Amino acid sequence: MAKKSGSSFGSFNRAEKFDLRPVVPIETEFSKGSVPDSLYASNRESAWSRWRRGYEIATASIYDNSYDYPFIYAVPVPRGTPTTTGNPPTIPGVFKGFPTTNKEFGMHWAGIRVAGSLRFDNVVDSGGVRASIASVTEDDDFWYVQLTGSWSVANPLPPPLYVAIPGVPGGLKAINGEILEDRVINPGDPPITRDTIDPTTQKRYGYVQAVLEDTNPFTGVLKLRKAGSVEATPDRALVTPATRPPNVDRFFITGTRYCCSCQDFNRRDYAFMTSLSTVSDSLAKAFPRTNLSALKPGRYEIMTLSGVVDNSAMTSATVDRDMEIVSPSPAYNVPPTVTPTTSTVPGAARDNPGVFRDFGGMYLRSTPDPSVPGSKAEGMPSYADYAASGNVITSLTDVWTPLLDEVRYCKHIYAMKYEEGVFPPEPSDFPVGIGSMAAWEQKLVKDTEKQQASAKAAALQRGSLSMMDVPPYNCQAPMMMPMMQKLFNIPSTFVKMDGFTMIDKNGKKYIPASGELPSV
Amino acid sequence: MPEFGDVVDSNFIYSSGQIDGRIYGESAISYSGNPTVYHVGDVVHLPYQSGERSTIEAIGLAWQAFATGGVPE
Repeated sequence: MAKKSGSSFGSFNRAEKFDLRPVVPIETEFSKGSVPDSLYASNRESAWSRWRRGYEIATASIYDNSYDYPFIYAVPVPRGTPTTTGNPPTIPGVFKGFPTTNKEFGMHWAGIRVAGSLRFDNVVDSGGVRASIASVTEDDDFWYVQLTGSWSVANPLPPPLYVAIPGVPGGLKAINGEILEDRVINPGDPPITRDTIDPTTQKRYGYVQAVLEDTNPFTGVLKLRKAGSVEATPDRALVTPATRPPNVDRFFITGTRYCCSCQDFNRRDYAFMTSLSTVSDSLAKAFPRTNLSALKPGRYEIMTLSGVVDNSAMTSATVDRDMEIVSPSPAYNVPPTVTPTTSTVPGAARDNPGVFRDFGGMYLRSTPDPSVPGSKAEGMPSYADYAASGNVITSLTDVWTPLLDEVRYCKHIYAMKYEEGVFPPEPSDFPVGIGSMAAWEQKLVKDTEKQQASAKAAALQRGSLSMMDVPPYNCQAPMMMPMMQKLFNIPSTFVKMDGFTMIDKNGKKYIPASGELPSV
Repeated sequence: MPEFGDVVDSNFIYSSGQIDGRIYGESAISYSGNPTVYHVGDVVHLPYQSGERSTIEAIGLAWQAFATGGVPE
């Protein structure tokens, strides 16, 4: 956040003396240094850097990271939906906190939706036929999976694979971007693991993991991307890209879904509201503002309570706020035609003063290498942003999609993937400008441990991390709600506080909305 | 055979040494079992039966309602 010096009325008329000596290179939105500083940018954007730092965070905090908040979220149904008996629809997952000194309230909150939350043996066509994998065809870049069942324009794939919206060609395909894994052998079976052995062959089943690129609701064909796919082999190894397509006759489940509230993952920069009350901080008395040069057209969101803006970070366990997405044109509302949670403000910029400075961009992986089908190392990122012609926005390509795997993982997600045992191979884009690799790594290890200890001490001792600062009480904060929607892959109005059942360190369940607390 | 909602696979099981070494602030507290129930890497067993509303169906209903201006109960 840019600092506005002399913002108090007491220094309003202060004359600025121009002195050549303190002139420093221009600071841009996401970089420090001269413009353009390609060397700095390549280091900062390097997948290798966040991959390596993710490993360090995981290993530096594995013994004392006590910020795990497992939960079971009961998905609410729309008003008027008939009630059912038996097991309710739930999403299991974990919130994981990463102490930091570089974030509001001293904590980056990441979330995981546990694999297997969505199962395709619960997807049926109009005749009640379950949607198993009927057949698979492929080209160089994709697998095309035909689902069992009778699918047509009159009987398309059911929601959330496809939701018809009047006046919107293509409708809504909320599952696009999810990771799918062929891990259910028969309907109702537990998902297989890397270790599960086929009793008929006495070999491990193995499975394939791939990102759902697109869905054809009228033919029942799912398009899965080869690039980035993972195969669990009969040897229990995980290899990428997968060497074979998903297995016919099995059922898909969704893979582990990650999301993080950090600036890097969101491509956002926050104002530190907590800093405003710190007398010694240079930001004291300064209202957060955004450089004019950093303003960009696009969407942003506002949290409201009963129609009034409410950006407070914590809520009561019984209060549900609404998230309103502000768009510069009805053409870019999300999704189009939806009311009342989307509003149009001509000229809206990606700045929500005091909350966000930049809405963020979508990370796009490069196109696959045609010489090696299905193979693509994660290299330097590019970002889709917006395009304009004659002062008219012609396209907005920000992150308001449920898509997840297109978004570049941050170091916190790399840390979680390390703990999961699916730490990806070393990216090829090693940062430039590093003299001694050994010296750099030793410094990194030392610095990470020191920073973790310092950040944790700041959160627990000086900052007094309170019960209200942790999930689910902070889940309706402006920085958390967008993450919650992406993590659960449901509309934000369906993220309600009374749906959370938390699990404490002893495995005991408690419901915050009912006033229950974790055991001490 | 796992029950409904059970974790089928967990790659993240603390060893006794790790559990003993975990630090919960400065307070002396007692706990038992695995400190986390779900963790990254877990796979959950959710075989919804006929007549029940599955998670994928509930999420579908939510998106469908959202597209038409519906609200949750």
